[in-house]
Amino acid sequence: MKKETHIHAAERFLNNKKNAVWHDETLWQTRAKRDRQAALIPEWEQLRELASKIKMHTITHLDHYLEQFAAAAEKNGATVHWAKDAAEHNAIVLQILQQHQATQLVKSKSMLTEECHLNPFLIEKGVDVVESDLGERILQLMDIPPSHIVMPAIHIQREAVGKLFEEKLNTEKGNADPTYLTRAMRKSLRQKFLASTVAMTGANFGIAETGDVVVCTNEGNADMGTSIAKVHIVSMGIEKVIPSHDALSVFVRLLARSATGQPSTSYTSHYQKPQKEGELHIILVDNGRSSILADKDHIQTLKCIRCGACMNTCPVYRRSGGYSYSYFIPGPIGINLGMLKAPKNYYTNLSACTLCFSCNSVCPVQVDLGNQIYKWRQGLDSIGKANRTKKVMSDGMRMMFKQSGIYHAALKAAPLINLMPRALIYCKADKWGIGRELPQFAKQSFNSWWKKEVLKK
Amino acid sequence: MSNKEEILKNIRLHTQETYEMPLITLDAIHYPDKVEQFIQVSKSVGGNAVVLREGEDLNELIRSLYPDAGKSASNVPGIHAAINPDDVRTSQELNGIDLGIVQGVFGVAENGGVWVVQNVKERSLYFISEYLVILIDKDQIVDNMHEAYKKAAFNDYGFGCFISGPSKTADIEQALVVGAHGPKGLTVILR
Ligand code: SF4
Repeated sequence: MKKETHIHAAERFLNNKKNAVWHDETLWQTRAKRDRQAALIPEWEQLRELASKIKMHTITHLDHYLEQFAAAAEKNGATVHWAKDAAEHNAIVLQILQQHQATQLVKSKSMLTEECHLNPFLIEKGVDVVESDLGERILQLMDIPPSHIVMPAIHIQREAVGKLFEEKLNTEKGNADPTYLTRAMRKSLRQKFLASTVAMTGANFGIAETGDVVVCTNEGNADMGTSIAKVHIVSMGIEKVIPSHDALSVFVRLLARSATGQPSTSYTSHYQKPQKEGELHIILVDNGRSSILADKDHIQTLKCIRCGACMNTCPVYRRSGGYSYSYFIPGPIGINLGMLKAPKNYYTNLSACTLCFSCNSVCPVQVDLGNQIYKWRQGLDSIGKANRTKKVMSDGMRMMFKQSGIYHAALKAAPLINLMPRALIYCKADKWGIGRELPQFAKQSFNSWWKKEVLKK
Repeated sequence: MSNKEEILKNIRLHTQETYEMPLITLDAIHYPDKVEQFIQVSKSVGGNAVVLREGEDLNELIRSLYPDAGKSASNVPGIHAAINPDDVRTSQELNGIDLGIVQGVFGVAENGGVWVVQNVKERSLYFISEYLVILIDKDQIVDNMHEAYKKAAFNDYGFGCFISGPSKTADIEQALVVGAHGPKGLTVILR
């Protein structure tokens, strides 16, 4: 199967010009809201620094904190399960459902269950899986994956949602009002919540000291599910554990501000004990995470708190949409996580980066996203995936920059390009030229201008 | 070897350079008027916060805030409500409650959050009520989340939540809709 590259998928996204412009502007507004919130906190940069350091400490003492977390959670009455990979994770979920003869599972948003392909697995076993986050539910009914990790349905227009609900929820024909549609889903999902005996959530944080699991939502769907159903299953990546509530205070101040530009999510829920006569199951999932610890170039991906800020700010993501990336997590963090998962499958995503490093400067935990993408590109040769044309070009550039004589001669000649016919400048071999307009070269180089105009004065 | 041991072994095998835990000492934000800041942020997140004035009757204030509320539920002493949520047998029985009135522990000025520790039989009351009122003491407002987590403690129920504003979503075209699954409105009353 020939894989579609990011460039081609992006082209398809850009064909719908109106939608593409809307997508770009809307995500940029979210970035701007994040900036406004950050500016209200004088110690913002200190918080980012602290968050990064706490994470580096925790992930390099992960065995200790996981054991502490599991012991505390068990003491609270929770059952802790350990899953080495996705298959084990899914089997544990199914087993819990079967123990309770549950045929329905209400879920709140979890990227980890997406990573484990839990839904198709359960559906195949006859379980009615109900996503309860509005965006996730829309996508589930459309049978398509999320295109953003925080705003999963950001690429869908209201008319499409209206049409979908007409068919699935019997809403009025042609009514695409977001409030009307949200209310319709509220009504429909309320029935699912009331009928459910097992509910599932992800985890934003697990607190080693106290054993509680922290989940942040705006809709209240995680709480609606887990406060009605007596059995609560938590799916948690092993990197989500942090030492204490003291540490948590740093992360909760950063998370919602970075994600959506809110001072806090509506609900920051702490699940410490099972409900009375209920059960709390926590599944700790490795699925490749522990191996990343040995990779010093990419270990920092384990700091990620999945806020999505790197997507909102990314000039490529905003203009190409989540589906243009072949890994299920898009944007700067997704490029890196995909490479860690299977470089030969996901290396084409590496082109979706201008190395502007905007992601580095917004990331609340200071993941070195741009640096990592740069390093992957340098290593492409070793997996035999370097782009031949670009490689010849950049080898040529390296030679030119190294030998200053050639460089200066080339610079002197550069203005000649202004006189060259387009066909010669944007020839077929020049893949870079597609979508890139060459700037007009100045009549004289900066160097000679400096010598002539500044030094002589 | 159990799964747990295998995962821990793999972690130990792969861990290289280790990093120190930083000291979390931070000169974090504080506000000249915490109550005022709390009220402003509560409004900005789609909620509301009001101060109960000297001599004002709490039940009347609630009624004036939610004049159309039908069935109400509360276990807070002195609050007039149609039902006591501690008397229900199941969570499901709380479906259809118009107004829940609950006791919170303290508020946070920086984000309008209120720490609520489960103090009703079914915690779904906090989420299933169409509208929610949370009562806190007005001298129980801290500046920021660092102070908040120094105070936040669990009781025997083992569930606590910072609630900041009503339930909301922007999943359809980023248009803000208040009242996704939980309460469509929230008022914090400071007394
Ligand atoms: S890498 Fe940073 S900015 Fe991107 S999702 Fe993770 S925490 Fe957020």
